[in-house]
Amino acid sequence: MSSELSRGEETSPVQSSDSNDVAAGFSLRNERETITVAVAGNPNSGKSTLINAIAGTRLYVGNWPGVTVEKKSAVFEHEGRKIKLVDLPGTYSLSPYTQEEIIARDYLVREKPDVIINVVDATNIERNLYLTVQLLELGIPLVIALNIYDEAEQKGYKINTMAMEEMLGVKVVPTVATKKSGLNELLKVVTKVVDNPSRYTPKHLNYGEDIESAAVSVQGHIMKQNPSLNNKYPLRWLAFKLMEGDSHVMEEASLKIDDAFVEKATIHLKKAHGDDIESIMADERYALASGLTREVVKRPEVRKMEITEKIDRVVLNRFLGIPVFLAAMWIVFKFTFDLSQPFGDWIDGATAGPISRLAAKAITAVNGPLWVASLTTEGVIAGVGFVLAFVPVIFAMMFFITFLEGSGYMARAAFVMDRAMHSMGLHGKSFIPMLLGFGCNVPGIYATRTLENPRDKALTALLLPLMSCGARLPVYVVFIGAFFSAHAGTVLWSMYVMGIALAVLMGVIFKRTLFRGESPMFIMELPPYRMPSLKSLMIHTWEKGKHFLIKAGTYIFAVSILVWFLLNLPWGVENKKDSYLGKAGQVIAPALAPIGFGNWEAASSLVTGLIAKEIVVGSMAEIYAVQQEDEETTTVSDDLKEIGSSFLTAVRDSFRNVFATLGIASISAEEDEGASGLKTVIQKTFTPLTAYAFMAFVLLYMPCVVVAIAMKHEFGSWKWFGVAFAYQMGLAWVVAMIIYQGGRILGIG
Amino acid sequence: MNLAMLKPGEIGQITQIGAIGPIKRRLMDMGVLVGEKVKVEKIAPLGDPIEVTIKNYNLSLRKKEAEGILVEAVK
Ligand SMILES: Nc1nc2c(ncn2[C@@H]2O[C@H](COP(=O)(O)OP(=O)(O)OP(=O)(O)O)[C@@H](O)[C@H]2O)c(=O)[nH]1
Ligand SMILES: [Mg+2]
Repeated sequence: MSSELSRGEETSPVQSSDSNDVAAGFSLRNERETITVAVAGNPNSGKSTLINAIAGTRLYVGNWPGVTVEKKSAVFEHEGRKIKLVDLPGTYSLSPYTQEEIIARDYLVREKPDVIINVVDATNIERNLYLTVQLLELGIPLVIALNIYDEAEQKGYKINTMAMEEMLGVKVVPTVATKKSGLNELLKVVTKVVDNPSRYTPKHLNYGEDIESAAVSVQGHIMKQNPSLNNKYPLRWLAFKLMEGDSHVMEEASLKIDDAFVEKATIHLKKAHGDDIESIMADERYALASGLTREVVKRPEVRKMEITEKIDRVVLNRFLGIPVFLAAMWIVFKFTFDLSQPFGDWIDGATAGPISRLAAKAITAVNGPLWVASLTTEGVIAGVGFVLAFVPVIFAMMFFITFLEGSGYMARAAFVMDRAMHSMGLHGKSFIPMLLGFGCNVPGIYATRTLENPRDKALTALLLPLMSCGARLPVYVVFIGAFFSAHAGTVLWSMYVMGIALAVLMGVIFKRTLFRGESPMFIMELPPYRMPSLKSLMIHTWEKGKHFLIKAGTYIFAVSILVWFLLNLPWGVENKKDSYLGKAGQVIAPALAPIGFGNWEAASSLVTGLIAKEIVVGSMAEIYAVQQEDEETTTVSDDLKEIGSSFLTAVRDSFRNVFATLGIASISAEEDEGASGLKTVIQKTFTPLTAYAFMAFVLLYMPCVVVAIAMKHEFGSWKWFGVAFAYQMGLAWVVAMIIYQGGRILGIG
Repeated sequence: MNLAMLKPGEIGQITQIGAIGPIKRRLMDMGVLVGEKVKVEKIAPLGDPIEVTIKNYNLSLRKKEAEGILVEAVK
């Protein structure tokens, strides 16, 4: 997502009583185009939420550390001035060890924003101030947004913000980003600081005689050797970095300084405190943060047991942890399926029946040629309609994933699964991209950025396509509907479990072959549980699902037309088997024979699925030329009525299914007659065994084109995609073969 | 004695951080410092990692890293 331009809801003009400020504001309005405000802070402190609340954007938010991995910006207007808010990845420090830290600090140092809004988590002031102390070293004007203030109050913390302002020399504004409170005040303070930066320069915090004097002499030396650096970097900060031996900064600044000098300047410091200057600095910064916290925060004497602790007693319990995890996953899939399927069937029925008929009537009415009618109904409506039928299922899935992210369970899943991930050479954190992969593999691939080392990233990205994404659901839904409707939830669940199990297996294999060496560290904060608001759930579900709609509207639309042409060319071809697509299918079919579906129809639709897996069902619909069996003549109003009444049936069935899932009443939805033509055709050409093998093949056979592009983007070369393509094709074939041949030996099918 | 040896519910005071390089810096940035008190809260179902509270928040780390953090048991 790039920047969005919109006006914040909370930014009504504020009358300033300070005449100086108003005057300055007027003159600056013309001088300066945009005020640039960097938003920095610890992971999960609510930076993205804050920006969304102020600027009305829809940046990605979740209750786990490491959601934002790239800087994003949002521009909006406030009192006639343009303000650009830059969302930085959350960091605990400005050290050069993780990619996010480097992104954040490079931005701050190079782009020199006008102000930093430092988002501080009020429930965890000490660790957050450790970063604040480092931000102050940069000498950029800073305002603290004391966020998550509601939870701090709930815990009974008393925070003396006046004292905090006094000691740090910066403005402190309590905020609750989720409830949009304190934001007006925050903006007011920010503009004040921008208009009068000299009045709000942050204090130099004193790091103690030894550090300070060493820094002064290093600064003097830098000035003598490289005077030009003074304009490029905050000098005091640069001196600290040199003392800490930060090679990233030294390289970047192309500092021409002999080590001997830094050595000399720090001799006294080392004598007094030990050799490791990084540790000395960290200790000193934390000492400042702790001291400040002691002064300004009063915590209640008796701490009551919090809800998070209570939930974790069960969720992270030694014996219950894993069953709870598996049950949570099962419930997600079961609900996704049961809730959305009636709506999917409704869209499917409506497009195949009344909508196709309406379109055909419209084309006949304007004397359109027959082939146009065929292209429209059999090509576009059949293809796109079939894909659209899965919108409900995709959105339901995204809804649950958003809920898991927002509630804080994601991080727990990583904790519970770490050991298992470790055995395949990964760590629990890789589990988060993998879980996201269940929604769509593409954001999963991008989320691998939160992993610290390249080896992890590559291995995670390689295994990620085995997580069954939303685009594969349509295929399962059709085949499960046709063959396994009595055990729909369980069969669906088995596909996901198969993907995970194979990921473990491949992980172990990769660990022994391509990825030998140390497996990485795992250090992660566990956030408190939070109840995501319905509104934010809706927004972020929509943001995730929207890509699917766009895909359906753009290139699935295009591919449907292409497939129609491939099926109808050479022009006038009688039998679809002789069309271009049919011929391609025939060439491939023999290779699929040993795995149970060596017919040209299946082969051709699998070919089209290389572009996106949901296309498989769309193409099948076109290939089998699914038609409503009842070609009765209907009137336009009949068609419209049918769409409406079947929608009501869908709503009813969805409710029923939910209750059935909960075990309140077990009503098995009776088979609707001719609900889907495709299901009927499939029942004729597949057996339950080959259907299951086919589903497994679709699960595994290769990541889609968009994943390929994402992998190229993340790794800068096609190498890892190449590896993924090769192993997945092999794996898909072998697994489907085992299912089919194994099943036959056991006498199934 | 190291952090990995503490049982859930036990508290230790950090005496030394043995790890070096990025891991040490990372731990320090998150508040794992000499003199700090840590309480072991939980051990994951599969035996690793562990969850501790330090500086008033929850942190999870693996036993391997915890072994590098030397502690003195606190009653
Ligand atoms: N109770 C409460 N929750 C908040 C507040 N602000 C944010 N949150 C929640 O905190 C969590 C983290 O929010 P994000 O905006 O994703 O945090 P972030 O700082 O952008 O995190 P990273 O991108 O990981 O660095 C979400 O679950 C938010 O709903 C607040 O003021 N009060
Ligand atoms: Mg964020």
